Amino acid sequence: MKVPRWSFITFFLILAIAVIGPMSLSKGPQETVAKPFAPPVWSGGDAPPPFSGNLSPNSKEMNIEWDWDAPENLTLRGQLTFDHDVVARLVWTTPEGSKYTLSSFHGSGVWSIDLDARDMTFKTVLGIPPFASATSLLFPSRGLHALSLEGPSPSEGSMELVLPGGRWGLLGTDQRGRDVLSLFIVGIRVSLLVGISATFIASLLGLSIGLASGYLGGVADSLIMRIVDVLLSIPILPILMVLVGIWGKGLWQLVLILGLFSWMGTARTVRSLALSLRESCYVENLRSIGAGSWYILYRHLLPEAMPIVLAAVSLGVPGAILAEAGLSFLGLSDPRIISWGRMLHEAHGFGAFTAGAWWLIIPPGLGISIICLVFLDMGRSIEEMADPRLRGGGQG
Amino acid sequence: MILKRAVLLFLVLVSVILNATVSTAFDVSAVRGPHIRDLYMVIYRDPDSQILALQKGELDVLGDVTRPSDIERLSSNQDVNLSISRGFHLFFMGFNLRKGPWNDKTLRQAASMAIPSIQIVRDIFSGYSEPVNTYLPPVSPYHETDVTTWEHDPRGARVLLEEEGWRWSPDGRLIPPGEESPLKGVKILSPTAQVAPTTAEISSRIANALKEIGIPVSVEPLDFSTMIRRLDLHDFDLFVMAWSLTRDPDSLFAFFHSSMDVTGGYNIQGLHDPLLDEVLEELRWAPDRQTAEGAARKAQQMLSEISPWIPVYSRYMVAAVRKGWDGVISTQATSADNIWTLLNMRSSDGSERPVFWCLSDEPRSLNPLSTGSAYDWQVLGLIYDGMIAVDPETLDDIPWLATKWEVETVSGEDGDHTRLTFHLRDRVKWHDGSPFTSKDVGKTLEFLRDNEIPRYFDNVRDILKVETPDDLTVIVTMKNVSFWHLHNIGGSPVFPAHLLEGVDEWETWQPAAEPHPSVKGLTSLVGTGPFVFREYRQGEYVHFVSNEDFWLIGGD
Amino acid sequence: MWSYWSRRALGAVAVLLLVIAANFFLFRVMPGDAVSTIVDPRFSPEAKERLRELFGLDLPLYRQFLIYVRRMLTFDLGISFLSQRPVWEELKSRIPNTVALLGSALFLSSALGIWLGVKAARRRGGLTEKLVLVSGSVSFSFPSFFVQLVLLLFFAYTFPVFPLRGSVSIPLPEGAFARALDYLWHLLLPVGSLVLLGFGSWAIYVRNLMVKTLGEDFILLARARGLPEGRILWNHAFRSALPPVLTIFLLALPGIVSGAVITETVFSLHGVGKYLLDSIMGHDYPAAGAAFYILGLLTIVSNLAADAAYALADPRIRVGRRAQR
Repeated sequence: MKVPRWSFITFFLILAIAVIGPMSLSKGPQETVAKPFAPPVWSGGDAPPPFSGNLSPNSKEMNIEWDWDAPENLTLRGQLTFDHDVVARLVWTTPEGSKYTLSSFHGSGVWSIDLDARDMTFKTVLGIPPFASATSLLFPSRGLHALSLEGPSPSEGSMELVLPGGRWGLLGTDQRGRDVLSLFIVGIRVSLLVGISATFIASLLGLSIGLASGYLGGVADSLIMRIVDVLLSIPILPILMVLVGIWGKGLWQLVLILGLFSWMGTARTVRSLALSLRESCYVENLRSIGAGSWYILYRHLLPEAMPIVLAAVSLGVPGAILAEAGLSFLGLSDPRIISWGRMLHEAHGFGAFTAGAWWLIIPPGLGISIICLVFLDMGRSIEEMADPRLRGGGQG
Repeated sequence: MILKRAVLLFLVLVSVILNATVSTAFDVSAVRGPHIRDLYMVIYRDPDSQILALQKGELDVLGDVTRPSDIERLSSNQDVNLSISRGFHLFFMGFNLRKGPWNDKTLRQAASMAIPSIQIVRDIFSGYSEPVNTYLPPVSPYHETDVTTWEHDPRGARVLLEEEGWRWSPDGRLIPPGEESPLKGVKILSPTAQVAPTTAEISSRIANALKEIGIPVSVEPLDFSTMIRRLDLHDFDLFVMAWSLTRDPDSLFAFFHSSMDVTGGYNIQGLHDPLLDEVLEELRWAPDRQTAEGAARKAQQMLSEISPWIPVYSRYMVAAVRKGWDGVISTQATSADNIWTLLNMRSSDGSERPVFWCLSDEPRSLNPLSTGSAYDWQVLGLIYDGMIAVDPETLDDIPWLATKWEVETVSGEDGDHTRLTFHLRDRVKWHDGSPFTSKDVGKTLEFLRDNEIPRYFDNVRDILKVETPDDLTVIVTMKNVSFWHLHNIGGSPVFPAHLLEGVDEWETWQPAAEPHPSVKGLTSLVGTGPFVFREYRQGEYVHFVSNEDFWLIGGD
Repeated sequence: MWSYWSRRALGAVAVLLLVIAANFFLFRVMPGDAVSTIVDPRFSPEAKERLRELFGLDLPLYRQFLIYVRRMLTFDLGISFLSQRPVWEELKSRIPNTVALLGSALFLSSALGIWLGVKAARRRGGLTEKLVLVSGSVSFSFPSFFVQLVLLLFFAYTFPVFPLRGSVSIPLPEGAFARALDYLWHLLLPVGSLVLLGFGSWAIYVRNLMVKTLGEDFILLARARGLPEGRILWNHAFRSALPPVLTIFLLALPGIVSGAVITETVFSLHGVGKYLLDSIMGHDYPAAGAAFYILGLLTIVSNLAADAAYALADPRIRVGRRAQR
């Protein structure tokens, strides 16, 4: 038994991931898991791991042995309750001994704390300019840092200090801190769906209309070709906007529209083929022995047209995927739907290129490319099976 | 109480810090310029190429840096100075007050308490925006802090609702008091990523926050014109939008007065509150600053209680200027990309090199009569002057083409009128050498009014008559009383009478393409401003040279 | 045959009228208009009404349609709503840039793609074929803005060989020759990126076509006759494959004018593509309508040309009568 071609194997692999993948994800792809633009865990470098610690009535001091560069962010959240009037302070100590008061409380009752190093208010409290990094101030060097609660002990409550890690996952995070691997896996579905469905519709339309037009000839042919002309003369953009305005931006609208506006090329080529075959000897022969039109179309012209259609499909699927990516770029797709095109659009829009966040750019780009290669190769092998002349290693 | 004090402290502290980033304390009277000779406004449409060009040194001034990743990248760049200021931007969520349950004030107030503005600013803008809960942005001179603020407190929101008789269904949805069935799912209309990439994310966070307290909301992203259509037809429940306001608070009238609930009007939410209407009318037609301040204060206090919107945040404006330029001016109200910087800047090494300023899109037409595009006005604002300018620090009025002015209310048989008297500056010249006189102001105002030019319609339609008793005095009498007439008339650009006379069709006037009738090398795009228009190469750049006879250079 | 062509011409005119009508209604069906999308509290409803009057949007629909049809047929492209300038002037300043960019891109990528496709079909299963197929599909499969931004980053910033934006340097260099060189230098990166992105589909398509053609009997005959390989390849096989290739080329021509929005945005080029997009988004009916009209005209003309070329190139197709035997 022959080993199946690599493209078929890859295609089924991709299909499997598309179906099973999203179910195996522990969280939804839309959840924020780490800091924005976090590089993948394996991409070398010396970024800090995540850290969290608690302060409570019993443990009023937290020691942090910090052996990396300053973390990207710092959050401090929680509540402490004081039964009587107190003056309490949260104090940060650096390895050099500098002390900073992060927050203070006067009076009694509940002290709610919600500090984030990104806040302008926090930078103000620390006395640094708005573009400076608060964490760089608090982590000036490697060594022992401490957070302590000064003043009387609270009666109850706790406070959590979180230092998010600098790296995350297999493919890092995007501009919102979402896991890129999850996005990538979920995106396979949409890209495949759009690509295959739109091309299916386009090929079906192109094949049937092309055959009909070429075989029937005459008035019907002229009429159909005029319609093709009109459709080719109206660029896709305004149609899209109108339809989007009327139908909404959903996935199926997009598929329908892409399918409805990509069949013309196939139709023309199929029609030319049908026209030329109609005049050929063997069709004449078939007719002379009494073969009906449907028979000729179905048993003879259709198989002749298949290579054209297959070629169109193998180029059409990646074309549709790219078209979806381009439309996302122009903002004409549903922002709630995750697709590879959308991922690239957001990467561009949120500055991943200038920020050097290659993990946001290369996976979806490469993914589209791989699907393209897969379809092209599958198309070729189907062609070869259909038409033995095309098999590899032919004449010189 | 502690909350309010904290808010106050926060505001004060932030102002101090923002002020502290200014290179020198700003003194308007010390500006004497422009000192540079050539200015090129170069068109860069893509934010990535803008940043790269600035880093490469091909751009000197880049305004409106919005992406946090860019801000962080530039803040660590040794060759670039960043400045930050508050802006007049305001992003909010609006209700459709015409239908239930949004006509219930308690629900709106509870919804306001559910929105985590601070966390939104942190996660989406990395802290480079300001969470707000007032109806005028904090930078506005009329901003009122003594108002009820609905701080983020989801538990408190539930308590508030419970007190008013709201209950929750088993699946967590709210049940209005006195009713049996819970709220049906609703959509929040949101413009798509074309408008601002962050809006979609913010809308879904708002939707999630509202779901937490029992309001079943999901996001419906729409293309902008479709959204406007739905809003005009009142076919919506909730929506998000952002405005860019001005230093005058009379826009509150446009947003909240019941007469503005018409197609094309801005009372989108459909608020009809007679008491508020009275206060807004007082604000709109206030005869003087004091009345205006009182009315603005009352309006903001009432609006906070009524909560027709949930204000969420106001963007900070961040601008980047390459080092090597002295005299860059930025304040807590204006980032470095402003006209004062252009007037004051000079190269640190004393050379006469040109300034390359980034223009984010093509100026549409350079026809000052018809265009409303912001990019056109970045260009035209350097060519034309108004009688009054705005202090970049305090936002007060500064004498510009007028050295003094008076605002009076005079009584006539048909009621009271505001009368504005402007005393014009002497020895000011147009770029073609003709003297600037009161005739220019008069002709400009009459031309705008008589031709009913839409862009200036609201400014000039209330002009009753314009008198020019002498070359340096203009008296404008309005049909009614309003303190804002001063800014509407005084802030309007002045066009040269001798060139306006030759304009037959103002709609298609293209001054930048017409050679000047008498002076060689100039076009008809002639003003009194600090920069003289040289060339506009479509798609590439606009070239100016400084006006050597600009009145500010010589001093008063 | 003349009857066929005259019918075709008539058909083309019918299509033109259909296109004109479709353009009109297309934009009117989209919700909103140029005035309603103005959201500026300083622009009162009354001011908007005045603007609407000026644009003629307050006239009844049938009158707007008649005015529009008259304009299109007389080539009076009207005044743009958004810029208040004649649409023809707007297009005039943008078309040369777009044609230069996309025209050269089309020629270069088709030439490169065709050459590679033919070369690949020559030796089946060989290294060339594999390389061409892989590079072709890779070229085809990356989204345009991705490739262009990466190129911009590398060759205009990291290694500052090329300019970051536009068609000209600022200030302009002296002398016509220097300016021409400057223009070419600015065009290299955008055109290069488009060729890189575009040659793939040509190469693959031509290769497929050539493979089929090379397998046909008449090629076998030519080989048996001892003709040199090169002649077989180009004069016989490629000539046979020419009609569909030519068709695709001609059909791609109108696309030159419609512009590439993405390329223009990334490289800040002053072209028709972005203008088209802005006109649609801004409901600038005169501008968008005129642009699509010109596009429609060009498409119709190129379709006619494609048909003619196909009929000329393929003797098997003789329109209007059956083949002689």
